Amino acid sequence: MTLLDKKQLPPMEAAHDSTSWKKWFTDYGPRLLLCARQWTRSLADAEDVVQEAFVRYWRHQRELPGDPQALLITSVRRAACDLARKEDRRAAREELADGGLPEREGYFESLPGEGEERRVEIESALRKLPSEQREVLVLKIWQELTFEQIGATLGVSPNTAASRYRYALAALRSELEPLCHG
Amino acid sequence: MDESLQELEEELKRLRPRGPSPDLTARIERELRSPDTAAPEHYAVATSFPSWKWRGWHWQLAAAAAAALVGVFFFWEQPGGVVRQEGPPSPVASARPPQLGLPASSVAAVEPGATSAAAANFYRPVGATNVLYDLKDEGTVYLGDNQPARRVRYRYVDTYTWKNPATRASLKWSVPREEVRVVPVSLN
Repeated sequence: MTLLDKKQLPPMEAAHDSTSWKKWFTDYGPRLLLCARQWTRSLADAEDVVQEAFVRYWRHQRELPGDPQALLITSVRRAACDLARKEDRRAAREELADGGLPEREGYFESLPGEGEERRVEIESALRKLPSEQREVLVLKIWQELTFEQIGATLGVSPNTAASRYRYALAALRSELEPLCHG
Repeated sequence: MDESLQELEEELKRLRPRGPSPDLTARIERELRSPDTAAPEHYAVATSFPSWKWRGWHWQLAAAAAAALVGVFFFWEQPGGVVRQEGPPSPVASARPPQLGLPASSVAAVEPGATSAAAANFYRPVGATNVLYDLKDEGTVYLGDNQPARRVRYRYVDTYTWKNPATRASLKWSVPREEVRVVPVSLN
């Protein structure tokens, strides 16, 4: 069973009917946060962006027709871009002074035993990917979007999204040692 | 996609994204409980724009209309309705509005002897954009035959750009536009 088994989650469309945002946010918040982290400099920034996008969505957009997942991801991306523009100068100064901002917070939940070591390896390899490949990978694997949806979200063609995805997987494979089974 | 990439894909899918901090959930809860200060106001009619954004446009539009009226008044005050120049062109004459979209030849026909000035004053339309800056779902309304429909109000700023190829000067004109769409829905 995969940890992101769709059967465990309420459908995204439930956002249209649900009056309880907490349940919905508990189910989908981690995925949104992971997306936001591809477009922000730190976990704190990513949380700010998710908060802004989610509150805007819940208040003003959840009754709108259409795919709420795509709407939310686009909203998160726009909020991240706005934040990046606002913070660009300040952050650049800080990075210069600190010699870079190492991201200490992990993308994924810790795993027991040897799995934890592998998780750290994967995260490290993910961070080394070019950002345009990493965002496609995240949207495909953890948001389960189609290449058409990814293309629409990022403003690229579905073919471009698909090729970035393949490049990302190939780059990850060359960076990671194969998982030893058994 | 080869087998090793598929295995890697499956391995990635088994990783669970880390959840938001309890602090984030608390912040969202606080914000959702607080009154929505950022929400746009309800507008009773399409021409009622009480928000600050539209107030600014009111003043600008009123000023532009007044300037246009004054311009028309002075134009008709001239004999024959055409401004005549005697002697060398004055700075005031060269500051007249550009001949938007008119070819240089038609301007020259109006004022013989001013061909080069008219050509330099020729502006060509080069672009038109519209930016959606506000959207309000106004909920369900009922059409004449009791058909339910959703009414959504969009607010745009349309911007038109002209360029003068001779001087490379450009002129932009922005105007607010409101659009209301009523889309029939089924509640079944």
